[in-house]
Amino acid sequence: MKDDIHRHLDGELDAEALGAEGRSEVDAWARMLEAFRVSAPPTGSAPAWLEERVMSEIGALPTEGPLRRAWRWLVRPAPVRVSPLAAGLVAAGLALVVLLPGRGAPPASGVDGVPVAGGPTDAAVVYVQFVLEAPGATTVAVAGDFSDWEPSFMLDDPDGDGVWTGRVPVRPGVHTYMFLVDEAQWRTDPNADRYRDDGFGNQNAVLAVAAGV
Amino acid sequence: MTSGLTAVTRAERTDAQVVRDVLSGDRDAYRLLVRRYGDTLHAHALRMTGSHDEAADLTQRAFVKGFRKLRSCREPERVGAWLFRIVSNLCRDHLRSRKSEVSLTHVGGYLRAASDPEADADAAEVRRKVWAALDTLTPEQKEAFVLKHVEGRSYEEIAAVTDASVTSLRMRVHRARDALRGLLEEYA
Repeated sequence: MKDDIHRHLDGELDAEALGAEGRSEVDAWARMLEAFRVSAPPTGSAPAWLEERVMSEIGALPTEGPLRRAWRWLVRPAPVRVSPLAAGLVAAGLALVVLLPGRGAPPASGVDGVPVAGGPTDAAVVYVQFVLEAPGATTVAVAGDFSDWEPSFMLDDPDGDGVWTGRVPVRPGVHTYMFLVDEAQWRTDPNADRYRDDGFGNQNAVLAVAAGV
Repeated sequence: MTSGLTAVTRAERTDAQVVRDVLSGDRDAYRLLVRRYGDTLHAHALRMTGSHDEAADLTQRAFVKGFRKLRSCREPERVGAWLFRIVSNLCRDHLRSRKSEVSLTHVGGYLRAASDPEADADAAEVRRKVWAALDTLTPEQKEAFVLKHVEGRSYEEIAAVTDASVTSLRMRVHRARDALRGLLEEYA
């Protein structure tokens, strides 16, 4: 289809600027688009029962208890002000701990050439921070071989900026994972360092987690 | 049926005030949003699915999801557009899953049921044909085409409610037109 026909249909070009053939085609388009409009399902009111059904379903949802509210308050991002003197003292203290003989943690090494995503905690699991930018999503979960591919780890977007994050306990090793957006769309992590075919035409992200020290 | 929204002052609250009240624990205030945006969301779902039952179900699901995620609504004064995005996502997912299950006669089935019994049979057939053709598009193309050419919105307006860029929407509409061009001979 010619670009000038698209431009006319987009309201950017007058029909006079088209040749006779072009004008004939845009006339046909006008008739067809009118047929679409005329035959569109009528946009009347939503069903009368909609409001009560929504409110009934909402009413059945569990209310947020004080513990949940307290947790939300605790994990809510908040700016922290630190004076340069205090920051310097904390940094000096940390450096001292790391440099003491026998106390320093060796640098985490990658597995299979993939950078390590988790920080050292204990020998059994490492908490890995997952991040996905998904504006407009209503839920985001992460699933992988570490969860038997169950999307059981929900990410959170507390400030509503479309960036979903969450810390997930993962055992050391090489893992594959994907995100599940709105309980329906499987999405590959666009920021993974490595990918692997899942055998169904999609790419799983690969994550290597070193053992904690 | 009971409604907690008997006071006029409640009905006059802005969207941002309603969102704030709901988040503060006044669940019943949410029905104001259902009243304000129910028709708009339902109309879009109906045009995307062609089915009254599916549209009603998707609209209900959108409102419940909206309630559960209300805390993540960044612009409470534009909660209507935010809810529209939710129903729009649900519709696209629904069409994607339906594509493998239902034949192209789905939309035609709705139109036959809804049309005037005395309407001209040829016109009904044309209507069935054009809407069935829409069902051959990808959900994204169909949504962009419906919003642009059936609902008459500008690309900028569509971008504001779908999270897609104007450039991307323009491309979707162009591809939809290219795909539908075969129908033109009926209108030449």
